[in-house]
Amino acid sequence: MEIIEKIKTNKSIDNQTEIQKICLDKLQSSPLPNPKSEQWRLSNKSKFSNFLGYSLDEKYPKFDTPFPNTSQSTIRLVIGNNCQIDLIEENYSIQKLSQDELDKYIKVQISCFDPNKNWSDLLNLSLSNTKNILGLKINGSKIPPIEIFSHSSSNSLNAKTLVIFLEKNCDVELLQVNLGKENSSLSQSTYFCLEENSSLNHGVVSYGENRSNLLNSLNVIQQKNSKYNLGSLHFKFNYARFEISIKQSEGNAKTNIKGMQITKKDEQISTYTKINFNGPNGFLDQINKSLADDESHAIFEGSIIVPKIAQKTDASQLSRNLLLSNLAQIDTKPQLEIIADDVKCKHGATISQLNEDELFYMRSRGITLPEASKLQLSSYFQEIISFIPVSKDRWDLLDKLLNEK
Amino acid sequence: MVNENLVKDVVKEPYKYGFVTDIETEKIAKGLNEDIIRLISQKKEEPKYLLDFRLKAFNKWQKMKEPDWAGLGYKQIDYQDIIYYSAPKQKEKISSLDEVDPKLLETFDKLGIPLTEQKKLTNVAVDAVFDSVSIATTFREELAEHGVIFCSISEAVKNHSDLIEKYLGTVVPASDNYFAALNSAVFSDGSFVYIPKGVTCPMDLSSYFRINSGDSGQFERTLIIAEESSSVSYLEGCTAPMFDTNTLHAAVVELIALDDASIKYSTVQNWYAGDEEGIGGIFNFVTKRGKCLGKRSKISWSQVETGSAITWKYPSCLLLGEESIGEFYSVALTNNLQQADTGTKMIHIGPKTKSTIVSKGISAGNSINSYRGLVKMGTKAKGSRNYSQCDSMLIGDQASANTFPYIKSQQPNSEIEHEASTCRISEDQLFYLQSRGIEFEEAVSMMVSGFCRDVFNQLPMEFAAEADKLLALKLEGSVG
Repeated sequence: MEIIEKIKTNKSIDNQTEIQKICLDKLQSSPLPNPKSEQWRLSNKSKFSNFLGYSLDEKYPKFDTPFPNTSQSTIRLVIGNNCQIDLIEENYSIQKLSQDELDKYIKVQISCFDPNKNWSDLLNLSLSNTKNILGLKINGSKIPPIEIFSHSSSNSLNAKTLVIFLEKNCDVELLQVNLGKENSSLSQSTYFCLEENSSLNHGVVSYGENRSNLLNSLNVIQQKNSKYNLGSLHFKFNYARFEISIKQSEGNAKTNIKGMQITKKDEQISTYTKINFNGPNGFLDQINKSLADDESHAIFEGSIIVPKIAQKTDASQLSRNLLLSNLAQIDTKPQLEIIADDVKCKHGATISQLNEDELFYMRSRGITLPEASKLQLSSYFQEIISFIPVSKDRWDLLDKLLNEK
Repeated sequence: MVNENLVKDVVKEPYKYGFVTDIETEKIAKGLNEDIIRLISQKKEEPKYLLDFRLKAFNKWQKMKEPDWAGLGYKQIDYQDIIYYSAPKQKEKISSLDEVDPKLLETFDKLGIPLTEQKKLTNVAVDAVFDSVSIATTFREELAEHGVIFCSISEAVKNHSDLIEKYLGTVVPASDNYFAALNSAVFSDGSFVYIPKGVTCPMDLSSYFRINSGDSGQFERTLIIAEESSSVSYLEGCTAPMFDTNTLHAAVVELIALDDASIKYSTVQNWYAGDEEGIGGIFNFVTKRGKCLGKRSKISWSQVETGSAITWKYPSCLLLGEESIGEFYSVALTNNLQQADTGTKMIHIGPKTKSTIVSKGISAGNSINSYRGLVKMGTKAKGSRNYSQCDSMLIGDQASANTFPYIKSQQPNSEIEHEASTCRISEDQLFYLQSRGIEFEEAVSMMVSGFCRDVFNQLPMEFAAEADKLLALKLEGSVG
């Protein structure tokens, strides 16, 4: 694995930035994540080495967004395409973060990274050069929806980083699209900082092509009275990991997460979430759905941490899983770690297949088996898809999922 | 607001089983090596296959590492500073209870375990284990009439060697985990139960474990075999004196249920938990596992865990037989600086197997109470079902309650449901009870016992009452 060799020797990455250097230094102690640790123990080793097997892409191929920009009111950005944005309108402004602001923020983040727990972020930042880091600060309201694309190119590994500050009272709809090309790896790290009273509707849609890999990590810090909604969808990856870390830094914030992962063939897709309540009156409602077919493997691991300070926290986490084939497997592990006593915390998990009674009912009314299961699946998907902002009008994700088979 | 001090007062009942019996004991030297194992084996006049079993386990143990995944914080155990065999001195062979040292009988009397059959109050046969050896087993003749074998494992080695050789280590192999390997190498005594085909055991069987010396570990081993269409209910109780040092208890329990057999295994664990500063207390590392080998067999674990400084215990069921059933009902209470990491493993291997998990954790003081469970549906577990429910109750804002359920499914035709919740003693309910003239402490204990009701209902009669009382006592002073 060329990448790991580079990390180990800490030499051959040319023109290192300071951040890259710090991250490489941190990774020296553990160039690879500990396969016995909880976060990595279920990870398929050969798929993971396939992820690391590609060499770093230093070129910047032109990228055509796969969807025509039919709506004029959408702001569309592609990370790595040297995008220049400096919008100052009456109601809002979207500006690029200065290099100093960006460096300062990232350095603070790195300082509390653990080489094993934040391995994906450290890898990302040690590979991302200045061109592949997009930093934005957004202010105001009535902002047109924003779409941000990240992509990998065939036969190579790409690392892209996105940092967004939402200033006070700001209200944004943002869709992030991660596209994997055939035989490629994409390392995407995203950082959001939501200031007081800000609100973000965030969508993440990631899908690949034949044998593409993804390491997607999302770090959100929520200040008081902020609201963060996340709708995410991951499908069609040989190997994908989605790591979510959300910190309600002073409590009093709201978080809603609805995520879904669909695995087929021999794919492995996993979601790891960690929600940290660092103040009172926090709220979380999370649902994660998985669907595993053929010989695939879907993994969900979620942890909710409620320290003593986080009184009156109201958190719920639900993991719903559909296992559709004899050779597929699902692992799920919702976790609660609670110290504060005046809290409402609950979690649930189910694994089953499509409901036979429902199928029977539909079939007895003349609906064929494939149609009936499609109907059931569409209702299963719909709950998540309808939560993903921007896309729902024109992306037709549901159709993509149902007809993919 | 509920008065926190009041609640704290509710939990502060002194440990009443903390006395030491002053009795002459025979101890071997501290430390663990092959010679010690040979010595233990020799003292027990064991056949060669058992010595080989021990030595093999010891070899494996030496190569193993103490597990740290449970995240329990305790000071390093020095395995060379433990006495692995300690027995009260008595005449070589006891033919009847009259020959047992009266001091020992007194001890068990004090613990509320009558060993003299004349004094029998309840229809329960008891095997009493004191440090490393079994002292007495009651009702043996009556049981023998039904063909039930109930004796200490050392006796079983002598008299029923074929059964021991056939089943020992088949459920928990010597190399299963660090503590099971240690137990396999040095186990001293324990109970053996064999229920023949078609027999419903006429009375509840019970073993009572008492640690008396402060520097010796207790390593008992229990083996229960239920033949086709038989059934048995087995109870286990444990206490220990108060010492400032930590005593190691590493037990192994193996259950085997053949076609249509049913085993119900209930535990009330009340080892000494250490004082409020966390000094002393038992380190309780136990491997309990049942194998539902036969069709429609059933193994049910119920436990009330209130003692021990450290509890590391996951009573599990291997559901191999078609339509076999596994159950786990648990109440774990931690207070002061106690740490409990307990739960269950339900491994569904055979088709149409079912399992139920109900776990209630109550954490008070500065304690840590974790549920850690695994539910696994294997590829052949078609039509299997699992239902798990884990509730935690937090008392005070210093204690922590954690839930770590591992769920894995490889069989689409199976269903797994898991739910967990956390709560505290509700002020509204407390107010309601108090406004109706119920004392604060009683109201708290009523609510706690209501919280645990699902589990207590599963305990045998005598235990249910005891558990209720125990919980009320343990909680005295801690609700706030």
